[in-house]
Amino acid sequence: MKFRSWKNVIREGVKNTGRNRVMSMASIGAIMAALFVLGVIIATIINLNNAVAELESKVEITIYMAKEASEEDIKEAKSKLNSWEGILEAKFIDKDQALEDWRKEMGDKSYLLEGYTSENNPLPDTFLIRVENPQYVEDLVNKAKTLASVEEVRYSSDVVNSISGIARAVRFVGMAIVILLSIMSIIIISNAIKMSVHSRRREINIMKYIGATNWYIRWPFLIEGLILGMIGAILAGAATAGVYSLLLKKAQEPDNFLSIFGLLPLENIVYPILSLYLIIGCIIGALASGLSMRKYLNV
Amino acid sequence: MIKMTKVTKAYGNLKAIKDVDLTINNGEFVFIVGPSGAGKSTFIKLLLKEIEPSSGKININGLELTEMKRRDIPYYRRNIGVVFQDFRLLPDKTVFDNVAFAMEIVEASGREIRRQVPAVLAMVGLASKARAYPHELAGGEQQRVSLARALVNNPSLLIADEPTGNLDPVTAREIMKIINLVNYRGTTVIMATHAREIVNAMKKRVITFRKGSVVADRAKGEYFGEV
Ligand SMILES: Nc1ncnc2c1ncn2[C@@H]1O[C@H](COP(=O)(O)OP(=O)(O)OP(=O)(O)O)[C@@H](O)[C@H]1O
Ligand SMILES: [Mg+2]
Repeated sequence: MKFRSWKNVIREGVKNTGRNRVMSMASIGAIMAALFVLGVIIATIINLNNAVAELESKVEITIYMAKEASEEDIKEAKSKLNSWEGILEAKFIDKDQALEDWRKEMGDKSYLLEGYTSENNPLPDTFLIRVENPQYVEDLVNKAKTLASVEEVRYSSDVVNSISGIARAVRFVGMAIVILLSIMSIIIISNAIKMSVHSRRREINIMKYIGATNWYIRWPFLIEGLILGMIGAILAGAATAGVYSLLLKKAQEPDNFLSIFGLLPLENIVYPILSLYLIIGCIIGALASGLSMRKYLNV
Repeated sequence: MIKMTKVTKAYGNLKAIKDVDLTINNGEFVFIVGPSGAGKSTFIKLLLKEIEPSSGKININGLELTEMKRRDIPYYRRNIGVVFQDFRLLPDKTVFDNVAFAMEIVEASGREIRRQVPAVLAMVGLASKARAYPHELAGGEQQRVSLARALVNNPSLLIADEPTGNLDPVTAREIMKIINLVNYRGTTVIMATHAREIVNAMKKRVITFRKGSVVADRAKGEYFGEV
């Protein structure tokens, strides 16, 4: 098509959007909702993945010694731990010391621990190990299990796994919601376009008699769909940025529960999401108008 | 040349056009007459490839209409100007824009549009009304706009379905003068009408339909038969 024709076609598309104000607004709202939910999910997943990575770098291994562990065993464990690669710090916590610490922690409820002495101490001797790098964890855990008189070796993989699990669930449930909302917005937009086509059926009819190609007739409606999609995307982007920066602000308040998550800065989230919004918004808009015009244009 | 061979168009059991054999030469002026429901509009729709014949062939200047691909239809229609009884103007466009619209959709250049639209408006006698909107015009003037729109792309065939149906006799005669002029300049004209006086006054070829069949076809004919 010639440049001139593109100008005409775009002008008509813009006019269409303005003419059907209520339907246009409903469409924009629908697409905005779908994209916003998508954004919430993406932001959540990005942050959870980030949290997983962070936690993995802080993995601690805890080695609980058996009650009957001898001084010898503990000495040997200490020296072995000091020789192994990948250990940042290996801290030994004496069981008597641990009991004492516990008492202090309990404060005025320390009577609950009365009767426990070094003879019947319920706590084990413990090594707390911080690793240099999460990649050492598995190896170290396996080696620690071979030490003499080790009762149990624990590490924080459980937390990592459960966060990964949450991320998976969010992705799964979230994508289902997004798909549902996308289908809804496709339906709403295609209805808007259908109404737009309907309100211009006289014009379309005349255009056909004069010899307009189907594409010339279609373009304004496709453009209408694209405009709706893009406006929805931009508004959803603004809403996402707004809500996210609000969360960031809350997370900076010391008492807020959000402060336990190290939220990523705004620009890490908003730019990728906004470009994704625009792409998806345009696809949804074009798809919806394509679907709605198929039957109308058959003459 | 338009050549119809054994053309039938059936809607269910009803044959709106029945076994029609017909030849119309380039440059001819042909009236299509007949009582209501005779099949005049159906005949015109077949020529525009708005509907397909149930059987038979329609050949226009060597082009087999029934074999034409869907995507070629717009280009075929660009050779045909169409006028209807109800004008079919776009109410939110000026006279100029209503006519320019027909050039825009065939992707004419801005220069062509600025040259051609005033010329054709002058031809139909509406040069002074270019900026008016359709609702500001009398019926006859609206039909002139519609005629200008049909003619602006220089079609080789003008098809009119009861173009004077909504007009008083005097106004109708004005419209017929323009159509006659267009025909005089070489455009083939096919016009379906009920206007007995016009048909009788113009002494052109008259094809009479009844119940889908051609019952009379006379050069310099008259509107014949009761309704
Ligand atoms: N889409 C359709 N579906 C069913 N029947 C139709 C359809 N179009 C036309 N017909 C029938 O075909 C017959 C011919 O109709 P047509 O419109 O061609 O008549 P006409 O000669 O133009 O009449 P008029 O002078 O009233 O305009 C009529 O009986 C009409 O009811
Ligand atoms: Mg008719």
